[in-house]
Amino acid sequence: MASADLTSKQESSRHSQAGGFADAAPHPLTSLLRRLAGRVVAVVTTLLGLLFLTFSMGRLLPADPVLSITGPEVSKEVYDRVFNELGLGQPIWMQFLSYVGKIATGDLGTSATTGQPILTDLMMIFPATIELAIIAMIIGAIIGIPLGVTAAVRRGTIIDHIARIIALAGHSIPIFWTGLMALFIFYAKLKLVGASGRVDVFYEGLVTPMTGFLLIDAAIQQQWEVFQNAVGHIILPASILGYYSVAYISRMSRSFMLEQLSQEYIITARAKGLGTRKVVWRHAFRNIRVQLLTILALTFGGLLEGAVLIETVFGWPGLGQYLTRGLQMNDMNVVMGSVLTIGAVFLTINILSDFLYRILDPRTR
Amino acid sequence: MLKQLLTTIAITGALVTTQPAFAASPPNMLVIGTNLTGIRTLDPAQNNARTVSELISNLYDNLVQLSPEDLKTLKPMLATQWSVSPDGKIITLTLRDDAVFQSGNKVTAEDAAWSIQRVIKMGQVGSTDVALWGFTPDNVEKLVRAKDEHTLEIELPQTVNTDLVLYSLAGSSLGIVDKKTVLSHEANADFGGAWLSANSAGSGPFSLAQWRPNDVAIFNAQPKYWGGKPAMARVVARHIPESGNLRLQLEAGDVDVGQYVASGDLDALATKKDMVIENVPGLGFYYIALNQKDPDLQKPKVREAFQHAFDWKAISGNIMRYTGFPWQSMIPRGMIGAPEQADVRYDYDPAKAKQLLAEAGYPNGLRKVLNPSGAATLPFAEALQASARAAGLDLDLVPGEFTPAFRERKFEVLLGNSGARLPDPFAVATQYAFNPDNSDEARLGSYYLWRTGMKVDDLNSLIDQSMKERDTVKRTDIFKKMDGIYSGMAAPLVIFFQRTDPYVMRANVKGYHGHTTWSTRWHDVTKE
Repeated sequence: MASADLTSKQESSRHSQAGGFADAAPHPLTSLLRRLAGRVVAVVTTLLGLLFLTFSMGRLLPADPVLSITGPEVSKEVYDRVFNELGLGQPIWMQFLSYVGKIATGDLGTSATTGQPILTDLMMIFPATIELAIIAMIIGAIIGIPLGVTAAVRRGTIIDHIARIIALAGHSIPIFWTGLMALFIFYAKLKLVGASGRVDVFYEGLVTPMTGFLLIDAAIQQQWEVFQNAVGHIILPASILGYYSVAYISRMSRSFMLEQLSQEYIITARAKGLGTRKVVWRHAFRNIRVQLLTILALTFGGLLEGAVLIETVFGWPGLGQYLTRGLQMNDMNVVMGSVLTIGAVFLTINILSDFLYRILDPRTR
Repeated sequence: MLKQLLTTIAITGALVTTQPAFAASPPNMLVIGTNLTGIRTLDPAQNNARTVSELISNLYDNLVQLSPEDLKTLKPMLATQWSVSPDGKIITLTLRDDAVFQSGNKVTAEDAAWSIQRVIKMGQVGSTDVALWGFTPDNVEKLVRAKDEHTLEIELPQTVNTDLVLYSLAGSSLGIVDKKTVLSHEANADFGGAWLSANSAGSGPFSLAQWRPNDVAIFNAQPKYWGGKPAMARVVARHIPESGNLRLQLEAGDVDVGQYVASGDLDALATKKDMVIENVPGLGFYYIALNQKDPDLQKPKVREAFQHAFDWKAISGNIMRYTGFPWQSMIPRGMIGAPEQADVRYDYDPAKAKQLLAEAGYPNGLRKVLNPSGAATLPFAEALQASARAAGLDLDLVPGEFTPAFRERKFEVLLGNSGARLPDPFAVATQYAFNPDNSDEARLGSYYLWRTGMKVDDLNSLIDQSMKERDTVKRTDIFKKMDGIYSGMAAPLVIFFQRTDPYVMRANVKGYHGHTTWSTRWHDVTKE
């Protein structure tokens, strides 16, 4: 029997001993419902707090939302009309209440810079960011985890040092600079990838948006040429974003793995003559999966934020660019809508990872 | 697991390397790399900015046009000829009979009349130019009328130089829209504004194929265009906000025309044989604004000190190389009444500035807050801050977006730039020297002299005269007189540079000419 299983049994035996005191505990369903209700309250409170913060920032900034719509050279009549249309003459608390009320009905307002409802804009651009972040995370995970694990196993060797240098570079080199350099090498010199946007201009409009994820839509509609072109466009920004997450993922994987490798069950397994690969991947790695899940969830949230700069460099029409432009143009509905979306995604990821954590690791139930 | 990893990497690699080459744009497609930020609508009546003006100018025809090479001579477009009644009160235009909208509807005088009425009634930014002539939502329907299918009559509510009126009809906001189609999409009495924000209903050489705000705008050629089918079957305007990326794409040939390229990248592109940089003069200036509500800045000698505190020569060769040229007159170069060449009215002279400050009562110098109007003018403000120190002016630079504060007269010293679309000194003079009411309540934020808090009756009256006068020689004298007064009074707007807009083109692109009034047309563009 594998040592890991032995450990699990020991753990569960400890749990059952503790269970002696848990007889008076509430029914599991009641406990779950209570926990769920607590979660919902926490989520709503957090979202309200987030709304209040972004709304306050929007009102405190020395920006004129009217001018962002009309442009600076506008007559007094037009200015006054737009001012009233936006309800800016009302007291600030009324403006906030009216904003929260609208959001409750799914109305995030209209963008001053695109002229479209924020929700419509977000539905069009958010899939582009999610697509970028998912691929980046996959790249980050498939490089970062093996790198971190190998660095832990070969602690103090050249591989460990290389992993550390990669992590250090990922933390210290500005993503903007890396993006431009990568464009210069892979786009301008080697001509391997596309430069701007999700596809080349001549492939624009060939795929009808269905899910919003271009790669999926192109595959569904069997537009393979567009699909290939889209892969050529996403691969560079996703790799760069992925690289920046490698730094974090590998560092954490290394430290989790080091902790496991010093455990008694590993020493026992090794003493029994088990090969290193089996010890590491079959036993130690199984015990760090859950922790890695949390790291990946956090990384995904971070990638959504990190996409702000990379989207600007690569002209990627996603949430990052949308938010940046909103800030530059003082389009506060865009800023508030985007921040709220990122906040909501963070919360969702947290809840999901929490639940997955519970499913994968019975000790945490 | 390792096997799975390697397989995934191999598949991804194969997809990238086997995909079609990322080739240059095809010979019948023009790709413009630009900045589409902030274009909230493609409705002509609601536009007043540079990039959107160019897009609209290709979807819609105007009654008349001004070519980029000659901003003084009106040329036919939808109107083949026009005449002015002897009393100068009525302009009659005859429309061509072979123009059709993209819907297939014929272009009629009724469409033209309704388009002008629509702009005035909507009262959006697009109405700014044409409303100057006295048209209001109440009178426009009566004054702008279709006499028959091909004859349009425009009766002026007041005495105005009719050339000015015709110039305003050439502006992109006055593109003629398809009345029947637009009205069929009207909602909440919006004159079809919501629908037109993302659709087109014009008779221009191109129609809108796809519009994704802040991302891409795709235009298809109109094969039945009255002026002949355009050589470019498709034009794509793509949002490429990062100048370095845009430069790489221009060099690779993926992008044919680049707009808003940063100064450093322009320097690099200027050395390439296959690139052409066209520097198009704009109708506006870079200026230092001094708020006259501030008691220190009210003193004429302090304003004079500012004239000598800026080392403008030092930056004209680098940061301003592509975005402006030295100019200190309020009449833009090439316009009637403008100086023949750039005469230096105030040079950098820190000793003189110091002396002027001492004479004004500030022997130990003066400290003020300096704001740039926005990010684009920040380098200019930094240069001013550095050179003004030697002149005894200590300027605390606070970066940010300060145009709103400028409009509210809540600033001390501001550095800004401007633009205008009416190719006549009247437009610039109105912006820089007109202020009929200096009270705070008047809130005349459109006029810079109101923003800086100064009212000069002589200038107001001269601007009024220049609008009414029909004789070119007399108008020229009026503008010269205006310029003399402006220069002599140590104006609170210290002008240093006239604006230019750089356009980068691949050398094989022919027929693309940036327009001073931003209404660049793509109809004659070819690629060799």
